[in-house]
Amino acid sequence: MDILDVLLTPSAFAATLRMAIPLLLVSLGGLLTKQAGIENIGLEGLMLIGCFSGFTINYYTSSWMMGLIGAMVCTILCALLFGVFVISLRAHEIVAGVALNVLGTGLTTYLLRAIFGVKGSFTDPRVMSIPEVKLEFLKEVPWLYNIVSGQSILLYISIIILILLQYMLYSTRFGYYIRASGENERALASAGVSVARIRYITLLLHGALCGLGGAFLSTGYLTQYVEKMSAGRGYIAMAAIAFGMAMPKRVLGSVLLFAFVQSLSNRLQICGYPSYFTDMIPYFITVVVLAATSYQSEKKRGRPA
Amino acid sequence: MNGRFGKRLLTPLTSVLALVAALCVGAVVIALNGDSPIQAYGSLLAGSFSNMHYLASTLSSATPLIFTGLGVAVAFKAGMANIGAEGQLYMGAIAAAIVGIYLPLPGPILIPAALLASLLAGGLWGSVPAILKVRCSTNEVVTTLMLNYLAQLFTSYLVNYPLKAEGSALGMTVNIQEAAKLPILYAGSRLNIGFLLAAAAAVMIAVLFKYTSMGYEMRLAGENPTFARYIGVNTGRRMVQGMFLGGGLAGMGGAILVLGIQYKFVQDISPGYGFDGLTIALMAMFNSYAVLPISILFGALRAGGVTMELNTNVPSELSQVIQATIILFIAAQASFAGYLNDFVLRMRRSFDRRQKGGGEIGHS
Repeated sequence: MDILDVLLTPSAFAATLRMAIPLLLVSLGGLLTKQAGIENIGLEGLMLIGCFSGFTINYYTSSWMMGLIGAMVCTILCALLFGVFVISLRAHEIVAGVALNVLGTGLTTYLLRAIFGVKGSFTDPRVMSIPEVKLEFLKEVPWLYNIVSGQSILLYISIIILILLQYMLYSTRFGYYIRASGENERALASAGVSVARIRYITLLLHGALCGLGGAFLSTGYLTQYVEKMSAGRGYIAMAAIAFGMAMPKRVLGSVLLFAFVQSLSNRLQICGYPSYFTDMIPYFITVVVLAATSYQSEKKRGRPA
Repeated sequence: MNGRFGKRLLTPLTSVLALVAALCVGAVVIALNGDSPIQAYGSLLAGSFSNMHYLASTLSSATPLIFTGLGVAVAFKAGMANIGAEGQLYMGAIAAAIVGIYLPLPGPILIPAALLASLLAGGLWGSVPAILKVRCSTNEVVTTLMLNYLAQLFTSYLVNYPLKAEGSALGMTVNIQEAAKLPILYAGSRLNIGFLLAAAAAVMIAVLFKYTSMGYEMRLAGENPTFARYIGVNTGRRMVQGMFLGGGLAGMGGAILVLGIQYKFVQDISPGYGFDGLTIALMAMFNSYAVLPISILFGALRAGGVTMELNTNVPSELSQVIQATIILFIAAQASFAGYLNDFVLRMRRSFDRRQKGGGEIGHS
């Protein structure tokens, strides 16, 4: 029982929320392109680029806002580069995604050496942390106060983005176009809409969200840049998108689940238990759920013998 | 008809062009850093080929890459987008380590046993997404990707808990038995007979696809599954076999790391060899002979990158930037080749039309 006492405390839930922020932002970005019919497995690389550029620009401007904006600009550029290859040059999206991942790890490590002259990690007092929101009026309810108060401002921003995306995807014409370009691009094209344009705009949003998520890691979650600090979060985001079937609300659910599992791993590690199996949970769940859902939809369709 | 001929000529050309373009991008990155690209590339080249010692280290870093490159190529040929070579390598490596450490066998049997274990472990790990694809039509891209992490975490658990060498700070096993170490080919380096095995494997894969009905059916299942099913090929079975073979080859790449280079399993043993394998296979257009020189090129980037970093200010991660650029251009090469091809075709058509005269145009 003592383990459960450590695991299910308000601070564990607070940690879950903190970990959910970058995952949610990146998953929302990935969900958009997935709905538009592009599978980008380069989320990890984009996130890392956001991480590094956010940190670096924050370092030079000493402004967290500029850091976030700069990170978004950099990741938008990278996402558009991906778009040029995938949409205009018809490159294989999986292969281009792998390139994005390799570029992300290579370029950030290279630039860390080239700009700051260090290997491993870097931190500096000039880097401003993204502010946290204290909710004093919740003091009356200590457990809620402990969970919610002191969370990064990006938590609220990401919730707003989630609501906006949900609205955009299912209640606006543009959202309809996005879904149509994923489900039936020919129909959309014959209706006179440029599928390529819709996809480029989607990639732009995708890049911005990955940049925000990445920058949060290096200037919010920590105020430090560590080599490869995205640490597989891009892949967990992919898992969350697959598990949530690319629908915003379900993706939120899977992000919260995976973030909780991650915080569980950290706790276990602190208590000296192996965390490898809890770390495996998101990947394992995704494989199982993917297999089950695709099997079901296959059965519905009536598979040819 | 003319198009095919053009394409066949153009695709190797675009591979070379991709390499050149990537080196140019790399040169710009070096120059932005305030270094001389010529000096950096010179040092990279010198550090990978200039003497026997460097050459040996290039070839020894190329060895696991040949295996992963072949593994990815075989799977892709059988119609499986295998992004999971990294995980298959980990499973093969841990299997080889377990056999190499614990199985009390005499030398001549121990090494083949360890290699076989890695083949089986990598192959079984690779078969999982293939079976899921065939039985449940689950997208193999996502599952192979997820299985990479599962393999990495699982092996990390093993070498941090049950198999951990006592007293070591990092997660690693004890050394393998002397008899399990692969014989060295060039004294003073880690170049071992694994390189010859890799070359032999490339030839065997080429023979499999060219001269056996099994290989032919695998290729057919990959290229045109509908037709393959129509003429009675069990495509699902061939795909699983292709993926088993591909995973097994990647697993043997892991065995080479354990039996020939590290002599133990160290946590996170692969610096991305599986993903390099994907690049290599793509650049080789899944041709197993082409995998050899391209793997050596990538081995040179890895080995020479270290020398470059020592002699100039340029970080060795530059090679990853170059590699990413290569992948991007290769990924788009069908389109580049297509543009060139269309251009050639259009020229030819207008030429033909002019030959035949204007009469036919009037009819249509």
